[in-house]
Amino acid sequence: MALIAVPKPPKNAYDPNRPMGSLLKSQVDHMREAESKLPLKYRNQIETYVKAVRTEGEAARYIQAVTKAIHLAHEDAERDRRAPRPVPVAKPVIEIAAVADASELKPKRTRKRPPSKSKKGAGPKRRRK
Amino acid sequence: MAPGLDKLQHIVVLMMENRSFDHMLGSLKAVNPNIDGYVDGDPYTNPDANNKPVKPHPSAKFQGQLQPDPDHHFPAVDLQIFGKDSDPKANNRQPNMQGFVASYFNQQRNLAHSQMILYYFPKENLPVLTTLALEFAVFNRWFASIPGPTICNRAFAHYGTSFGRVDLNPIYPPETIKSVYSRLINADPKRTAKVYYYDTTSSTMEVANLLQNEPELFGTFKQFLEDCDNADLPDYSFIEPNYSDHQGDSGALIANDQHPDHNVRAGEIFIAEVYQAIKNNPQLWESTALLITYDEHGGIFDHVPPPNCVADKFKADGNATGVGADFHFDRLGVRVPTILVSPWIPAGKVENRVFDHASIPATITKFFLGDYSADRSPREINADIFIEPQGGTVDRARNLLSLDVMRTDCPDFDV
Repeated sequence: MALIAVPKPPKNAYDPNRPMGSLLKSQVDHMREAESKLPLKYRNQIETYVKAVRTEGEAARYIQAVTKAIHLAHEDAERDRRAPRPVPVAKPVIEIAAVADASELKPKRTRKRPPSKSKKGAGPKRRRK
Repeated sequence: MAPGLDKLQHIVVLMMENRSFDHMLGSLKAVNPNIDGYVDGDPYTNPDANNKPVKPHPSAKFQGQLQPDPDHHFPAVDLQIFGKDSDPKANNRQPNMQGFVASYFNQQRNLAHSQMILYYFPKENLPVLTTLALEFAVFNRWFASIPGPTICNRAFAHYGTSFGRVDLNPIYPPETIKSVYSRLINADPKRTAKVYYYDTTSSTMEVANLLQNEPELFGTFKQFLEDCDNADLPDYSFIEPNYSDHQGDSGALIANDQHPDHNVRAGEIFIAEVYQAIKNNPQLWESTALLITYDEHGGIFDHVPPPNCVADKFKADGNATGVGADFHFDRLGVRVPTILVSPWIPAGKVENRVFDHASIPATITKFFLGDYSADRSPREINADIFIEPQGGTVDRARNLLSLDVMRTDCPDFDV
């Protein structure tokens, strides 16, 4: 079968200043909602700009900014998850473990409750002024 | 024996924007009478504002004709399907497809302009779409999922339901029904899936969930082309067109989604690029099926009444529909052009079974995951599949990839 020619659109078909239709407007609205859920540092400070979006070219710039911000926020979160966590210094860990082990081996002491009358002399002595 | 099915490893879906079957492919009836389109002399007409019958006409232009954008929100589509004398609250209404001109007239009150909604493309003006329809399988009964606009219809392609929405508002699905992508990538054994949007500037229409929560599912069209070159396509790919005229990294990029009033020829080139990217890699070409469809009809005429279907478990109330009556998602939207491409499909195949976009997750899930027991919508569960499962006994009457030997005579486009 012969190669089938596919005519191109004329150059004047391109019009980024065309007013955006209802579909693009809804996409911008969805992006705005998604952007509002991003941490502040990813928001591009375009919260007020979006209200001025009227044309396809303007909508595209806003959509790109939020799309990239969403990807970046997720990539950062993924990087944080994969980052090596700081290893605790060995010595304290061993000591703590040793103490924990020792405490397990020792029979538990049950503190006898002193008789109520023997309160005298128990605890730090208070100076009388 | 079904070697085409046995070889199949990748399914690609390309979803364009807002054109009806008769508008794009109706003229093919003159070439192949099995295609349920429109030819001059057919009885279909629409009454204009003076109740004078108007006939469809092969005068559709690539751009500059459908301004303003034809209304395709729920109330307008209800008028288009049932005509201006039908009460949306009445029971047992019969769709007659008599309200397209009346609906477009409502937008400008211009008698001559309202008739343009019945214009269609002559075959020779759409060399890509019409060639693919004649060379592979064209669906006579593929309907939009909802008589409404883009976002809710695209949701059916991703989730098998719109969760009760009939509008353009964000959709937040309940946890139980997963997108077809989540089903695949979380399966055991794991499958692969990707949504390719055109570029970050055009991005996706699935912002509220997929982009926001699972951006790793996305790639660009440039990446799709590279993945085709490297035979590295995922099991399932969903491609979105460029939705706007904008400055890209390589200069001015023209919208190629074919949404009125974007240039239809730009969409023709885009469809051809997707097709050639697959075809140019022999390894991919023999193992890939490409479905080309449109999200909804965009308010443009079609003569086939959408059928009833099983109701969804969600409903839209009278306020949401805008017509004062509840909608139980028990009727499909207007018919859209849909073509299945594979070198294992015989030329001239015309499929008459009923499909809608819920058939996409239904097919992908069945093909790649087999019996899937997790929660799905009633609409998806009852939707027909367009590719039969591998293994076992294959129903030859239902198998569209039916050739025993792969074709070597498939068309090529100069893009």
